[in-house]
Amino acid sequence: MAREYPDWLPRALATLLVLSLLAPVFGWAAGQVGYAEPLENAAEATGATEHATAVGTALFPDYGVPGLGGATGTFVSAVVGTALTLLLGAGIGRLLGADTDGRQ
Amino acid sequence: MHIPDGYIDLPLALLFGALAVVVLGVAAKRVNGEISDARAPLLGVVAASIFAAQMLDWPIPGGTSAHFVGGAFAAILLGPHLGALCVATVVTIQALVFGDGGLVVLGANVFNMAVVEVYVGYAFYRLLVPYGEFRAAFAAGWLGITAGALTAALQLGLSSAFQYQLLTTLSIMGVGHLVLGLVEGAITASVYRYLARARPDLRPNAASEVSA
Repeated sequence: MAREYPDWLPRALATLLVLSLLAPVFGWAAGQVGYAEPLENAAEATGATEHATAVGTALFPDYGVPGLGGATGTFVSAVVGTALTLLLGAGIGRLLGADTDGRQ
Repeated sequence: MHIPDGYIDLPLALLFGALAVVVLGVAAKRVNGEISDARAPLLGVVAASIFAAQMLDWPIPGGTSAHFVGGAFAAILLGPHLGALCVATVVTIQALVFGDGGLVVLGANVFNMAVVEVYVGYAFYRLLVPYGEFRAAFAAGWLGITAGALTAALQLGLSSAFQYQLLTTLSIMGVGHLVLGLVEGAITASVYRYLARARPDLRPNAASEVSA
C-alpha cells in the first residue's frame, strides 16, 4: 500500500532548498568579518591549535567540493548534506515508528 | 563548537563517547514504537533543517560569527529523546561527510550538542513554559547552547593539548557562547512560535513522551 505523506512536506522541502541556497551567501558574509568561534579563540589562547589533526578523509572537506569554486561547492555541500540528513533522519523515524499507524 | 581530533585526550573522548551511546540508546528505547507514520518524516525534516541552518554563519562585526545549533529547538518540537537522536544524526553526518568535528572525538561532540544541549535546553523550556512559550523557548536555546559549550570547555580544559587550562577554556567558551547564545535563543523562539501558530498539529505531546 502506498504511503501517504503529510501535507506540510512540500513546503518543508522548499524551505530546505531556500536554506541551501542561502548557505553560500552567509558563508561569504561571515568571511568578510573573519570567522572565529570561541573554541578557536580558546585553542589560540592555550596554544592548542597545533594539536588539531584530521583522522580520515571527508568527502566534502570544510563544506566544499574539490575542484568547484567556493560558492558552488558550498551550495552543493548544503544540498548533499541536507538530503543525506533528511533521508537518514526519516529512516530513523521509520525504524522507531509504531507497528500500526497511529495518526493523531 | 565542533571539536577536531587531537584536542581532547583519548580517555576523555572514549568516556564521553560511551556516555553519548548510553544516553542515545535509552532515548531510542523510550521512543521506539511511539512514532506514528505521519510524524516519522518530521524527524528527517527537522534534522535536515538543523543541518542547513548550521551552514548559515551569521556575521557578527568584530571578527566572529554564530550559527544556529538547534538542540533546544529539536527538543521542543520533537520531544527530548527524538530531539537527541535528531541532533546526533546531524553531528554524525557533519563529521563523517564534511570533516566538521573529529572522528575520534565524535562521541564527545555528540554528547555536547545532542545530549547536553538538547536535554538541558528542554529542561529550561519545561521549567519556564508556565511564564510563556516564547520566553521559555528563548531561554532553552540560549542556556542549552551555553551548557553544551561549557561541557566542551570542560573536556578541552582537562586535556593536555590545552595544557589543562580549565579556567581559560571555561571562561572563553562560557562567556563567548553566553553572548552568541542570544542569537540561538532568538532563532529558537521565533521559529518555534511561527510553527506553533502555523501548524499547531506539529507540536509534540510532550507530556506523554516525558513520562514514557
